[in-house]
Amino acid sequence: MTDLLLENQNARKLIKTLGLPIPVPEKLARATGPYEERPLDDKKVLVCGAGGLQTVLAQILTKAGANPWVAGDSDAVLEPFIGPGEAWARTPRWVPSGDAPEGERVDAIVFDGTGLESPDDLRQLYDYMHPWIRRLNRSGRVVVIGRPASDAKKPARAATRAGLEGFTRSLAKEIGANGTIANSVFVEEGAENRLGPVLRFLLSPRSAFISCQPFHVTKLAKGDEAPDTHVLGGKVALVTGAARGIGEATAELLAAEGAHVVCLDRPADDGPCSKVAQRIGGSVLLVDITDEDAPARIANELKERFGGVDVVVHNAGVTRDKTLGRMAPDAWDMAVDINLGAVIRITDRLLEDEVLRPGGRIVCLSSVSGIAGNRGQTNYSASKAGIVGFVEALAVRVAKKGITVNAIAPGFIETRLTSAMPVAIREVARRMSAVGQGGKPEDVGQAITFLATPGAVGVTGATVRVCGGALMGA
Amino acid sequence: MKMARKKSSWGKKQRAVIVTGVRTPFVKAFGKFLELDSIDLADIAVKSLLERTDLPHEEIDSIVWGGVILPALAPNIAREVALDLRLPPTVEGMTCTRACASGLQAVTLAAAAIERGEADVVIAGGSDSTSNAPLNLPQKAVHALAPLAFGKATPADYLGVLSQMMPITEILPKMPKIAERTTGEVMGESAESMARRNEITRQAQDHFAERSHHRAAAAIASGRFDDEVTAVEASGGGVYADNIVRGDTTFEKLSKLRPVFAKDGTVTAGNASPLTDGAAAVLLMSEEKARALGYKPLAAFRSWAYVGVDPADQLLIGPALAMPKALDRAGMELKDMSVVDMHEAFAAQVLSVTKALASKGFAEVRLGKSKPVGEIDEDNFNIYGGSLSIGHPFGATGARMVTTMANELASTGKETALLGICAAGGLGAAAVLEAVD
Repeated sequence: MTDLLLENQNARKLIKTLGLPIPVPEKLARATGPYEERPLDDKKVLVCGAGGLQTVLAQILTKAGANPWVAGDSDAVLEPFIGPGEAWARTPRWVPSGDAPEGERVDAIVFDGTGLESPDDLRQLYDYMHPWIRRLNRSGRVVVIGRPASDAKKPARAATRAGLEGFTRSLAKEIGANGTIANSVFVEEGAENRLGPVLRFLLSPRSAFISCQPFHVTKLAKGDEAPDTHVLGGKVALVTGAARGIGEATAELLAAEGAHVVCLDRPADDGPCSKVAQRIGGSVLLVDITDEDAPARIANELKERFGGVDVVVHNAGVTRDKTLGRMAPDAWDMAVDINLGAVIRITDRLLEDEVLRPGGRIVCLSSVSGIAGNRGQTNYSASKAGIVGFVEALAVRVAKKGITVNAIAPGFIETRLTSAMPVAIREVARRMSAVGQGGKPEDVGQAITFLATPGAVGVTGATVRVCGGALMGA
Repeated sequence: MKMARKKSSWGKKQRAVIVTGVRTPFVKAFGKFLELDSIDLADIAVKSLLERTDLPHEEIDSIVWGGVILPALAPNIAREVALDLRLPPTVEGMTCTRACASGLQAVTLAAAAIERGEADVVIAGGSDSTSNAPLNLPQKAVHALAPLAFGKATPADYLGVLSQMMPITEILPKMPKIAERTTGEVMGESAESMARRNEITRQAQDHFAERSHHRAAAAIASGRFDDEVTAVEASGGGVYADNIVRGDTTFEKLSKLRPVFAKDGTVTAGNASPLTDGAAAVLLMSEEKARALGYKPLAAFRSWAYVGVDPADQLLIGPALAMPKALDRAGMELKDMSVVDMHEAFAAQVLSVTKALASKGFAEVRLGKSKPVGEIDEDNFNIYGGSLSIGHPFGATGARMVTTMANELASTGKETALLGICAAGGLGAAAVLEAVD
């Protein structure tokens, strides 16, 4: 079922004309092609805050094509932006802090909070953003950058750093109706050179349905190559459950970045799976992942046919919903084995046999309901929350090989699964996100694709929600 | 056991020198050269070159020609010229295309062939006739008409063709325009966006255009171009000099022109190069051959470089990357150059490039250098005007610049010249010329 409030122009107009108290969601701007040289071309990005990242931000933003507007007490704040501005012909502009010139609007706000030390300093969030927050264009972006609270030596400093995350989450809910998203990024000291790809992603339309999320950028995993375009050229990617929905969308996006995608699905889904593979110039691998010999078969196939694999997307999953009291043992076993057991067995085998190459990327599918809990999904939630623990633990163990392990937790996504929900529940679920609508499979695919790129090396062990800032979950 | 082999003479190293160059006057499109297509113009330039040098025809190895709007039915202009001028059939020919750098490309291909020992005497150059740009039928019409063009068409075929010809607007010939194939952006729009990005004001552009016209007019009045421009007998009468140059133009007059590509824009007909018809030819030889035949070389190439940039960003910024590259290859710096000559597609583009060359930030980020390439001294920069005032027949411009700069080095005792050309598709070209004793 399509979203009437989003797709039907007449309905949108009618509600607005009649002044009905129904919030009409803003249609989100989405990316249309593969990764670009300048994902932020001609976007006005307000850079503000007091931190030490000005030089880094100047380079990232101008190279990505953005026009930096720098807030500060005098035009001296432009200094780090002048050189990179000349290099990419993106002349920086100074705007006085605490004041937004009449009639001016921006597309994004980047707040550098890496210099905040005490709770009093949090006031800068207000001072810099208050004048501009209602001047954000539609499908705007807010990124608040800080240092990780866990690295702070003084409790007061840790508190200040943690405060940035709460601010961003609340702000996201206030500005979501405009299609605008807000996320926080915590950069470990020394990992600043890994910030670029993260910002290019979060400020671009590729992150349309990601809001309220904290991203941690660390030095943990090895690796430094980070192409801006054709980001998966020469890579081999395995996508399980590739026949339809999120798996299909992901396979398409990975292929568009140059990856050779091995589309895996159950033998029963031969038809749709082959079609996807054919369309994107990939290969087909028909395996039931719960079979005892599945890990060995997958590992052997990847080794023999492709010499290994660089990206593994564990997307295949099922729901077998019943309250615990009514649930049959089969339903428990099936959900937990497909969603968690098989993921672990296959991953272990690929690592053991060294089929997953150094610099590899593992992306698992968790779920917002796995994090938040949902009636009738004890089995599902056990498996999906299990994924969160799995990626956290595994990330540390494989970091030396340059391999990252992350999970994606989709919120309400318009798929075959959700279109089968009862109308009322579906309608409520849609409107519970900050952006007031459901996501599309491609939104999840974009997040997975980002985590699969070499540039995402700074992000590992994380569970990223793609939920439009949903009310449920943390 | 290895077979004993005779040493190959293929790929011997010799120095290529520029012996002379000549061009037709550059004439506003749809004017006096209306009836001359790019092959005719090329014929005139090459013929004049041969007459001026008394070059024995049997000495010529080949012709290399550059063009942008190539005649669809005979795209290899070089060979057509050899045949038209009844040169020996052994004079082989090839035609290359690299947008506005086609002329320079032809000349450097010739130099490379000589340096490699493939040839000793090569005529290179380029020509374009914007007046004779073909009108293309849309693909839809071409495909629909195919059954009539091949084999015997039946009445049913004719009916079938007719049925595919609707709506009529889809099968009308399309006007050619100078737009990027990938981005659809017209080149003037690219110049407009470069002006905005690099903060090049309307005033700066008009001042630059004014200077270009005044310098070109002065050069013509002083007879500086007499040795390098040949008169042309066209059907409407003789054409003896470039006819686009306005020696009497002023900054005030230029300021009154309306922007063409954007409402509140800065690019006008006055500070953009005009559509032009013309041809230019250059004679290159191995130094040994030139001296043996009794010619005094004018100059030689010390280096050249071609680069590409993303056409979706700053389409015409290429020279800012190509010029430093050519300088590096020559082992020289901007300050070592006696004179700099840059193709003037748009005043906004020239000023954007010079701004980038003077920028430390640009040098650091785009060139990996700690110091800026440098400021170009106005007195040594486009000293005889450029494409804004002289005109810009796409394929001919590079050969015109090589000729003018080679003559400059030979006649003034200046040591080196740096050339820079921007081209469609985000291409940039540059070359360093040096004097020959």
